[in-house]
Amino acid sequence: MELLRPSSPEEATGALGNGSRALAGGTELVPLIRDGLVKADTLVEIRDVVPRGVTGTRIGAGTTLAELELDGEIPQALREACAQAASPQLRSMGTIGGNLLQATRCWYWRLGFDCWLHGGETCFARDGAQREHAVFGNDKCASAHPSDIAAALLALGATLRTTRREFAVAELYRLPTDDDRNVTTLAPDELILEIELTTPDASTYLKAMDRRKWSFPIVGVAAARFGGETRIALAGVAPIPWLLDSVAILDEATPLPGTGYKVEIARALVRRAIEAI
Amino acid sequence: MRIELSVNGEPCEADVWEGESLLYALRERLGLPGSKNACEQGECGSCSVLLDGKLVCACLVLAAQAEGHEIVTVEGLAEDGRLHKVQEAFVAAGAVQCGFCTPGLVVATADLLARNVYPSDDDIREALSGNLCRCTGYAKIFDAVRMAAASL
Repeated sequence: MELLRPSSPEEATGALGNGSRALAGGTELVPLIRDGLVKADTLVEIRDVVPRGVTGTRIGAGTTLAELELDGEIPQALREACAQAASPQLRSMGTIGGNLLQATRCWYWRLGFDCWLHGGETCFARDGAQREHAVFGNDKCASAHPSDIAAALLALGATLRTTRREFAVAELYRLPTDDDRNVTTLAPDELILEIELTTPDASTYLKAMDRRKWSFPIVGVAAARFGGETRIALAGVAPIPWLLDSVAILDEATPLPGTGYKVEIARALVRRAIEAI
Repeated sequence: MRIELSVNGEPCEADVWEGESLLYALRERLGLPGSKNACEQGECGSCSVLLDGKLVCACLVLAAQAEGHEIVTVEGLAEDGRLHKVQEAFVAAGAVQCGFCTPGLVVATADLLARNVYPSDDDIREALSGNLCRCTGYAKIFDAVRMAAASL
């Protein structure tokens, strides 16, 4: 394995693709490499070339969750999502850009089963252990997306600036298909550089977990109010972060036998989040 | 690759593999086995060290990422042959059973008390939320943290 330390975003993207991977905080990538789930010939350390810190409504993708959870200027939903993610140790290193790109916690996927998301024929969770799995978008793959922060940014209507383009955070994600099992639209040689926030009148992030700290979301609910409009997005309920166009969409959930309880939790948290803002 | 870094105040060099964790380098190459290797997923916190003063899981940091940075491990907390107040409190409170989680908890507690001399119980819960103990049920660990806070 080779480790590169580029000095500019252009140099970094030039080194990406063809079996190399970008390394920021490492909290996600390092164990995936150790477990053999990511094969990389080359690691490209991007910490020195990706912006870090908050400037007005712009957040550098290299800003750590620990820095954001203490920032009184960013919207409450994002601050709460950062504070409730992972553990202090992981928030010290984990970056907001990396958090948006983390893989599912589905144990079939994490244990390297030849599952549909890995390119195989079968989603084992659909007929197996499925308590943590999806209630939306789950007909091919029942994995649940774990990012609290992605849900917060979806509700906040944030946009991303990468080395190639600017686009709504919603467009970063795609439901995987038979032809393309990726859950993001990011090209292998594309880097997220900045997140541009809008400023809501009020926002919040509520998270149901197996315990009160250091757990991935069973259901996370981000809500943001802009004048008379309220935007709601969910974490932990679909293979990608899930924007809820209306509360009524919860009636259209397609839970598995083991995940029906998530719909009820989502209903309760959505109600509480709307009341809170 | 060869890396240079500061460990417990001393400049160090190590030959490491590019994909190797800081934890492996500390334990196997630099002779510092205090940081423990358990889950290797960032879940248990038994490998907690300070990187430039920030609490991190050494199992999730590549050794190469620590190049040019300052690391403090549990071995670096004692000064002049005297245990750190947190270490003394863990001994006095009996906050150790099998001891495997203890180095990480000691480092995390020292980090908390360096930032917050009067931690509430919720502050302690938050600060130690990334450190798992499977023996003690945490009551004695909380006693030790409160005792260490009172002694500082």
